[in-house]
Amino acid sequence: MTQRHVTIGAPAETAAHYEDLVNRHGSPLLVYDPAVVRQRYAELQRALPGVSLYYAVKALPSAHVIRTIDALGGGFDIASGGETELLLREDVFGRRTIHTHPIKKDAEIRSALRYGATTFVVDNDYELTKFVPYRSRVGILLRVSFRASGAAVDLSRKFGCAFDELPGLLDRAAALGIHVKGLSFHVGSQCADAAKHVEAIEQCAALMQARAETDPTPMSVLDIGGGFPAAYHRTGLDLEAWCAPVRAALGRVPDDWQCIAEPGRVLVAPAVTCVTTVVGTSRRDGVRWYYLDDGVYGSFSGQLFDHAVYPLQVLREGPVEPSILAGPTCDSIDIVAEQIALPELEPGDLVIGHEMGAYTAATRTRFNLLPDAQFISLEPA
Amino acid sequence: MADFEETLYDAVAQKFRIDKLYFENKTDHQHLMIFHNAALGRVMTLDGIVQTTEADEFVYHEMMAHVPLVAHGAPQHVLIIGGGDGGMLREVAKHAVESITQVEIDAAVVEMAKTYLPNHSAGAYDDPRLQLVIDDGFAFVRDDTRHYDVIIVDSTDPIGPGEVLFSEDFYAHAKTRLAPGGVVVTQNGVPFFQPDEVTTTHRRLARHFADATFYCAPVPTYYGGFMTFGWATDATELRGLAPAIIRDRVERAELNTRYYNADMHGAAFALPQYVRAAMQGE
Repeated sequence: MTQRHVTIGAPAETAAHYEDLVNRHGSPLLVYDPAVVRQRYAELQRALPGVSLYYAVKALPSAHVIRTIDALGGGFDIASGGETELLLREDVFGRRTIHTHPIKKDAEIRSALRYGATTFVVDNDYELTKFVPYRSRVGILLRVSFRASGAAVDLSRKFGCAFDELPGLLDRAAALGIHVKGLSFHVGSQCADAAKHVEAIEQCAALMQARAETDPTPMSVLDIGGGFPAAYHRTGLDLEAWCAPVRAALGRVPDDWQCIAEPGRVLVAPAVTCVTTVVGTSRRDGVRWYYLDDGVYGSFSGQLFDHAVYPLQVLREGPVEPSILAGPTCDSIDIVAEQIALPELEPGDLVIGHEMGAYTAATRTRFNLLPDAQFISLEPA
Repeated sequence: MADFEETLYDAVAQKFRIDKLYFENKTDHQHLMIFHNAALGRVMTLDGIVQTTEADEFVYHEMMAHVPLVAHGAPQHVLIIGGGDGGMLREVAKHAVESITQVEIDAAVVEMAKTYLPNHSAGAYDDPRLQLVIDDGFAFVRDDTRHYDVIIVDSTDPIGPGEVLFSEDFYAHAKTRLAPGGVVVTQNGVPFFQPDEVTTTHRRLARHFADATFYCAPVPTYYGGFMTFGWATDATELRGLAPAIIRDRVERAELNTRYYNADMHGAAFALPQYVRAAMQGE
């Protein structure tokens, strides 16, 4: 299991900041800092010049984040009707979106078209046939499977055709009169390095160029997906270094191609901080238990669904002892952290979760009908 | 101000500058806008697709109303399905018909059009011959018992709220609402980019009508060349009227048009090879 980063104590100013937020808004909170998204977005743009960024809305489907990305001129990667509704409410034109879910109901395709998304992702023959009625309107990206062994979340097992299936699918699409405008891949989430991205770019680019020699409508879009990491270990993230091999690989593809990426985690993970409160405490079998007002059925759901281990911080300092942080539901699986060394906390103390923007609030449940952590932005909407 | 970029096709799009946004509605899973553009006047868009503009709506409304009404020769009862902006009603009302029934699914569209697109209806909603019915067009033609000489289906795009108005069941019900000698016309998109729509509509219409074909007119803001109107009737003679007859009727009707005339009436039924091929499903 990945080691969890725990910070004991905080500068008085930082502690006062969190305490002030809880005094004003209550607890639990998810505190969003748009400046962090802007900074990450700029870093990613610098690291991958010429690559169009489509924010993966699924990572954190929040109107606040949509507005931040919108103001930056970014695009949006959507995967459901609910996400299109959110973008519509926020006045994002459909042409700035791509629909990337490989498997869709007909009603989903129609509602996405009505919204204005015309780029769709497909990875098999049956899915292709769903687009025959809409073939005059759409541009398809074929998704290929490249599995990165170092990814925390494997996204190439459930989706993506095998590379050697591509020629058949391209021929099939041509026979159906459906325009395939490019290839996409998603090597996984939270990738340790970009080696798999580079391999995928090189293989896809070679195939796209080879097909361009013979196909009447050459492919020109290369979607490199996501997989950019978040710094769950608080060691700092050198996005520039991580992206360097990707940038080099993309530098070898033709200039007139459109290269796109679907960053989610990398943009929003560091932009949201979770603030929870100790509401109860006990000593069981010699171990300290602290019960928080948010847990794995809530904002910490990513610990189950996303295999994330969020860095934690307590504001109090003192001698530490083995402790357990538990969530608020009745279920015994609702444990935020086991066996971590913490100073003695008191009810009312705050426990802070860092890097909690991606796949946290997005995947929380309704269990126990506990209220959701309130989402607040550090900037006015 | 922002631009409106049409989302009809992935590979190509037309873009309009939004000089002033008059109205925007994002309810019921749809997105409607009315804005001003210096070249086109007021523009109405629905779900990213241009519906009508003040500058070129005359082509669409004149051709969809006058072609069937003049071809029929003596229309008394006219049914308009959709057409909430009022442009079709305005053109139909130029004819000496007895009754005009308009079925619009959404009363708000009519009110919104009266307010923000007043030049479309130009007062026609006050015409005493009009019966405005707020109902689903499909349900209306299925359940109504009256008969009409001309039925005009002024629908939106087939992907969206107007979907059922392109169904074979709708055409079958519409046929039962036609008086002898009656004709149905439908909005059928731009065949250069949407040949499948011609194929599908022709197949469906041909199953129910002795004469199922299309006629054309170029509406500049329906990007892609001319658009097609579906033409469906059992009165096969309506399509091949002698030019002199059409000219005589047009003169007597005093329609005061900007696109439609007797020559355009006849010429509109001439179809290029690619449309004929699409009709045959090739």
